[in-house]
Amino acid sequence: MIATDLAIRSSELARSFGDVHALDGFDLEVRTGEILGLVGPNGAGKTTFVRVIAGLLAPDDGDVEVFGRRPGRATASDVGYMTQAAALYEDLSLRENLGFFGRVYGLPRARVIERIAELAALVHLEGDEDRPVRTLSGGQRQLANLSCAMVHEPTLLLLDEPTVGIDPVLRRSLWERFATLRDAGTTILVTTHVMEEATRCDRVAFVNAGEVLTVGTPDEVGAPGEGSIEDAFLAFRDGRAEPS
Amino acid sequence: MRRARVGALAARIVRGFRRDPRTLALLVIVPLVVMALIGYMLSDDREPLRVAVANGESNETCGAIVSDTGTFRDALAQQPGIEVVEVTTCDEGIAKIETGDLEGIVEYPVIEQRNPIATTRVIVAGTDPRIEEPIVRAATYALAAARGSPLEAGEIANVTVDRVDVPDGERPSTITYSAPALITVFAFLFTFMLTSVAFLRERSSGTLERLLASPITRAEILSGYLFGFLGFAAIQALLVLAYSTLVLHARIEGALWLVLLVIAILVIGCVNLGITLSFFARNELQVIQFIPLVLLPQVFLGGLFWPTVTLWPPLQWLSALFPVTHAVSALREVMIAGGGFADVARDLAALLAFALAMVALGVWVLRGQRA
Repeated sequence: MIATDLAIRSSELARSFGDVHALDGFDLEVRTGEILGLVGPNGAGKTTFVRVIAGLLAPDDGDVEVFGRRPGRATASDVGYMTQAAALYEDLSLRENLGFFGRVYGLPRARVIERIAELAALVHLEGDEDRPVRTLSGGQRQLANLSCAMVHEPTLLLLDEPTVGIDPVLRRSLWERFATLRDAGTTILVTTHVMEEATRCDRVAFVNAGEVLTVGTPDEVGAPGEGSIEDAFLAFRDGRAEPS
Repeated sequence: MRRARVGALAARIVRGFRRDPRTLALLVIVPLVVMALIGYMLSDDREPLRVAVANGESNETCGAIVSDTGTFRDALAQQPGIEVVEVTTCDEGIAKIETGDLEGIVEYPVIEQRNPIATTRVIVAGTDPRIEEPIVRAATYALAAARGSPLEAGEIANVTVDRVDVPDGERPSTITYSAPALITVFAFLFTFMLTSVAFLRERSSGTLERLLASPITRAEILSGYLFGFLGFAAIQALLVLAYSTLVLHARIEGALWLVLLVIAILVIGCVNLGITLSFFARNELQVIQFIPLVLLPQVFLGGLFWPTVTLWPPLQWLSALFPVTHAVSALREVMIAGGGFADVARDLAALLAFALAMVALGVWVLRGQRA
């Protein structure tokens, strides 16, 4: 990883799918070691941006850097990507899934064994490591999904709606773990349309129609709405509030 | 039973099909392609087998060729599915049989053997009974026509057949003859079907996206799939081989490693074909629909049931593009004729070319999945 204060820098980023402009002049900077929440409705461009950062989509226009480099294979080892749906091999156990992805990221066998123990503890799946993933509950699968994204100890974690299908108790516990990871130096970019979760981020970017409306701490972006962060988002979206 | 509920369910299925133009297209295309192929195969409109005539009077070991056989030659030429071609010497004819440029030589018997019992000799490669049988039949009828009297009972039995490509000259049993086709179809179907479904799942479950976000390269993904399936395909081929030989008493004249090499190269192509086609399917139902479209033309045109030399020339060219054609041809050469590496080098080269083309296609479709 190249030392830089910015984990992600995107400028005038554009990406279309046919007539749909998923990203349309998307400007965003994510600082190293922060949790930044991308908040916006479905179809706002959050997942498209995350996929560009993960090196899965090439932008049509604009600049984008991850730790000072173009996203792709060069940055792949620094990035952990948790997809929206649990992207796991259902017939394999959590241990086998973690073992597989660990080897794909080039971890030595001994380190993979250590990571399996660490991650099973982190996501509260100790004792369930050898159950086939298909027998896990929806919430457990999401946790297993998260653990697979973290197996190679990435410095940037991309979490695409990580708490979908997870009960409130576990959700709170997960956010505590995100904070622990952040404190250990991991940068986290998390997408959500659950406004309550946005308040747990260090900074929040409101996203709508492929562009960033505003970026700031939850307190900063929440101010114009005179109420909840949900009101603030609607105010920005409807043009009743000016970007900071 | 409520009519409304049944009706709603049926209407839902019809609506689903209407929204799925690919399935609708395949519903029309697959039966048309298959019926066209079956119709052609069952028709008499086939290319003739090329046969030369040797004069049995001049040399018992088939040295000289075609002298004073005018009546017999004409009678043979009039037999359906036979074309009489000229070769200068019998050795030249045998060489052409071995290279596949001639299907057989029919010897016109010495005068004393023409009546009352017809005895004649037919020289063929011997690895394909569907080439041998029409030539033997045509020779018998031509003999009767040439002498001006109908066949007597038992005269067919007096045709001796020299099989120049079969080590012991024995007619291969049906199972010996069928084993190469069975092994090929099993290997092709198993690998193609499982790879395409497995890769489709990799895509739809999101694990492919997770893989592509990792440092793994496209070549590593394709190689991993290949080695994952290669072992299973080899075990399956060995099972079919073992059952054919130990239980059904099929013969394997050539080297086992050569049989496995043919299957290995076939599997490389099939894995990548499966991966490529899986990208054109949205679900497992659509993958299943690709199977008849991909497999049936190869089964009909690949020389499994009908010799490729009797196909209409453009279909012969098409058949030459199919991996099944070359795999079956190579396996028959090894298993029935006892051929070595040099004998199957052309088929192996064709299989390798197919495999490389499919690898290139696989890399190309994967390239579209990553920035």
